[in-house]
Amino acid sequence: MDEFIATFHIDWKLMLAQVINFGLVFLALYMLAAKPLKKLVDERSNEISKGLDDAKKSRELLLLATEEYKQNSIKLRKLSVDTQVELKKDLEKLRQENIEKMRLNTEEWKKNRIKQMEIDKRELIESAKKDVMSLATFVAEKIMNDKNK
Amino acid sequence: MANNLEHNGEVVEETSHEVTIYAEPIFHVGNFAITNSLFTTWLAVLLIAIFSLVIRLNLKKVPGKLQNIFEVMLEGAMSLTDQVTNDRKITNKIFPLVFSLFVFILINNWIGLLPFISAIGFTVVESGQNVFVPLFRAGTADINTTLALSLMIIVASNLFGILTIGLWKLFNKYVNLKALGEIFTKFKKDKTVVIVSPISVFVGLLELIGEMAKIASLSFRLFGNVFAGEVLLASMSAIFLYILPGPFLFLEVFIGLIQALIFSLLGAVYFTIAAQDHNEHEEYETVRALDSHESLKLSP
Repeated sequence: MDEFIATFHIDWKLMLAQVINFGLVFLALYMLAAKPLKKLVDERSNEISKGLDDAKKSRELLLLATEEYKQNSIKLRKLSVDTQVELKKDLEKLRQENIEKMRLNTEEWKKNRIKQMEIDKRELIESAKKDVMSLATFVAEKIMNDKNK
Repeated sequence: MANNLEHNGEVVEETSHEVTIYAEPIFHVGNFAITNSLFTTWLAVLLIAIFSLVIRLNLKKVPGKLQNIFEVMLEGAMSLTDQVTNDRKITNKIFPLVFSLFVFILINNWIGLLPFISAIGFTVVESGQNVFVPLFRAGTADINTTLALSLMIIVASNLFGILTIGLWKLFNKYVNLKALGEIFTKFKKDKTVVIVSPISVFVGLLELIGEMAKIASLSFRLFGNVFAGEVLLASMSAIFLYILPGPFLFLEVFIGLIQALIFSLLGAVYFTIAAQDHNEHEEYETVRALDSHESLKLSP
């Protein structure tokens, strides 16, 4: 063993110094370079995977929104068609109602008019009767006066 | 070897350029000898620290060129460690150490290969001879460095084992008291335990010796490869300086990378092994074997 140590000049102080040197390399390489770089790479990987996930989610959301838009468009179209039909129905109903109302009004007016005409006719006959009677009285008075003369 | 040469009638003393198996001291701080390999390791540490600082200061969410390269390196190393551990949780725990080890060894391996770096040095007189002492020597071309790293890995892996599976289970991996106890507790049920348990105890002791062997194999593999590479390059340069070392230099660059990878991956393997409870598997197998034995006895 002594011969081996003497041949290779083995010195525990040198060995310790080399271990310290390695320790320094370990500290420098790991603390200064490898660890921060690994952290950075991990962060970047996380960001990329998060970005990919977000893109995937956005795509899904976009597909959902497109589908919803399509559904809504169909619904709206159907609604507009329904509304149109309903509107037409309402308009027709309103027209019918108006016609009916006008017809009723006309009927009413006609009835009232006939009634008024009846009243007017009666008043006219009454007035004519009065006139005929006064004329007859006048004629009779005149005849009487002429006889007395 | 230094020889005295006669040149133009003058005696010129030649300087010896021998590659020594050990790192040479270049200066002293008190009693502590600073070797050229330690000095080069400081340079490597400084380079890595500057690189880390540059990375830290230029960190952006949208990465630049340097950050991109480092990110690719980090991801690759992480997936490679994952392949060894087969468990992301273990990978997350051991990765900082394994990756730092890889970078430390790689930079130390490669620093020794920089062209003309071995030519920078000074001459000292040793036993009346001029000896050239290079100022730089790859940190991993010194057994002190590789031995220190190996020891650190083995100690750290066992500590990791204690934290993961517990002190008692790890202790039983080496000194299998549980298996010894089973001789008395399971003897009635299974007579073969008399043979199996001592074997288990012996295997535990072998595991203990294996830990020592791991230290030796890790440290000498790395030291041997890097030192041999330096010797090879020095030899080739001595034969023909200008072109011949080129291909070997590329080979050594590759070997430096491979050795750093082997050392760090073996470290990851040792950590993974330390985090596994072998007894659970063995117990499961024993229970299954006993169950089948019982069912065989019960069946007509």
